[in-house]
Amino acid sequence: MHLSDGVLPTAVAVGSFAVTGLCLALSVKKTNGDDLPKIAVMTSAFFVASLVHVPLGPTSVHLLLPGVVGILTGWSAFVSIFMGLVLQSLLFQFGGLTALGANGLMMGLPAWCAAGIFHYVRGRSAAMEVAGAACASAAAVALASLILAGLLATGGEDFFGVAKIAVIAHLPVVVIEAVIAAFVVSFLRRVKPELLDAPMGWRSV
Amino acid sequence: MTPIVVPWSWIVLGLGGVAGTVLITLGALGLRRRKRHGIESVPAADAEALGALPELDLSETASSVFHRWDPRFKIASLIIFSFVVVSLHFWPPLLLCLGLAAGASAAARTPLRRASRRLGAMSGFLLMLLIVMPVTVPFHEGDRLLLIDGLPILTLNLRGLELAARIATKAVVVALIMEPLLSTCPFSVTLAAVHRLGVPLVLCQMLLLMYRYVFVFRHEVQRMWVGMTVRGFRSRSGWETMASLGSFLGMLFVRSMERTQRVHEAMLCRGYTGAFPTTVRFDAAPRDWAWAAFWITAAGVAFILDRWGSVFRALSPIS
Repeated sequence: MHLSDGVLPTAVAVGSFAVTGLCLALSVKKTNGDDLPKIAVMTSAFFVASLVHVPLGPTSVHLLLPGVVGILTGWSAFVSIFMGLVLQSLLFQFGGLTALGANGLMMGLPAWCAAGIFHYVRGRSAAMEVAGAACASAAAVALASLILAGLLATGGEDFFGVAKIAVIAHLPVVVIEAVIAAFVVSFLRRVKPELLDAPMGWRSV
Repeated sequence: MTPIVVPWSWIVLGLGGVAGTVLITLGALGLRRRKRHGIESVPAADAEALGALPELDLSETASSVFHRWDPRFKIASLIIFSFVVVSLHFWPPLLLCLGLAAGASAAARTPLRRASRRLGAMSGFLLMLLIVMPVTVPFHEGDRLLLIDGLPILTLNLRGLELAARIATKAVVVALIMEPLLSTCPFSVTLAAVHRLGVPLVLCQMLLLMYRYVFVFRHEVQRMWVGMTVRGFRSRSGWETMASLGSFLGMLFVRSMERTQRVHEAMLCRGYTGAFPTTVRFDAAPRDWAWAAFWITAAGVAFILDRWGSVFRALSPIS
C-alpha cells in the first residue's frame, strides 16, 4: 500500500524527504559508481516483477518485493527501491508526488533490513538460506507496514484506526512475499548462485 | 436578519458521496478497459496478471500553454503548487486549487483516458480512507454523528468522512497536475530540467535508463508468460502458482542481470564515461516567468486564504 498525496502532515512529508535524501546518499556512496547504471537496469526488472499479480482467493495482490530487492542488491537496495517508486508515481500515480519521501522510507529501510538478515544466513545450508530469505522478506513487509502505520499515526489520533487496518491488511501480503522470496532464492541458488552474493557492492564501499 | 442555516452534514455527505461515486466509476472504467485490452492483445488476459504499462510522453506532439512553457519553470512551480495544496486545511482554498488543476488539465489537452487512469489508480486507497475513517475517527466535542436505524453499533462520524474527502480532494488535485507536468514534453527533457533544478545527475540518468528498460523487460515478461501459458501454467491461488511465479521471477532476474552486463559493456564500448551527452537547451522567456509567477501566486493566495481566511472573515463587516 502506498500513501497518496494529502494524507501526511506537510512537516512529516517534507521531513521524510530529508531522511530519504540521507539514506539515498548513503546507498549511492556504498555502491560502486560504475554500478549505478546496472542498478538502474536491474531496478527496471524489479519494477516489472512488482507488476505481476499473485492470485489470492477471489482477488489478487501485486508484489512489493522489498525483501527480494534487498537480497539481490544489498546496500544499493534503497536507491533501487526509491527510483522504482519515483517511476511508479510518475507512470501510475500509485503513491503521491509529495509522499515520495515517506513511501521511499517505508519500502527502502525494510529492503536494507532484509539485506542484513539474508547476508547473515548466506553461505549456510540450503534450507537455512531459503528459510532466511523467507524470514527476511516477511520481516521486510512487516516492517514496511509498521513504518506505514507510524507515518499515518503522525496525523494524530484520527488516523490511528486507519493505521491499525493498514497493518492488518498487510498480514496476507507478509505470507505471500515470504513464500515468493523463498522460491526465488531457492531457484537462484540452483541456477545462478552468484546473484545472491549481492554483486553490486554489499561489501564494497 | 437570521442567516439561513444549511446543515453541514448534508453538504459533507453529498461531497463524500460524489467523490466516492466518481472514484468507483473511474475504478470500474479502468477495470473494464483493462479487460478489453486483455482480449485484444495476443497473449490473452496477461494484462490482467502482469499489469499494463503506460507511456509517459504520448501527448508531447500536441501544443498548449504547458507544452510551450520552459520545463524548468513548469516543474518548479507545479511542484511548489502541489506541496501547498497538500498542506491546505479548509475547503474554499482547496476547491479553488481543484478548479485550477482541472483547468490546467484541460489546457494541457490531457486525454480523458489518461487523467481517469491516474485517478483510478488512487481509487483503492482513497476509497479505503472514505470507508474506514468515518468509522474509526474518535468522537470529539461538536462532531456530527450519523446513526443508521437498526444498526446501533455503527455510528458514522461525519468529521471522519469530511477528513477523508479532504484527503481525497488533495490527492485528486495533485493527480490532475501530473499529466500537464509530465506528458507535455519528452521524458528526457523533463529529466534534464529536473537536473538543472539541482537533482543529482546520477539519479536522473538512472531514471532515464529505467524508463527505457522497463518497456524492454515488460516485453520479456510477456514472452515468458506466453511460454508458461503454452506449457499449461494457469495463475490460481495455491502453492503451485507460487512456486511457478517464484521460478518465473528468478528467471527474470537472471536474464535481466545478464542483460545488465551486456548493456553496461555496450555503453562502455560507445564511450560512456558517466554522463549521457545531451542536446537539450533551455531558454527562459518573460512568458515562462509570468506563468511561474501565476502558479506561485495562486498557491500563495490559496495558502493565505487557508491560514488567515478566518481573520479576514472576522474583519469583514458582512458576516
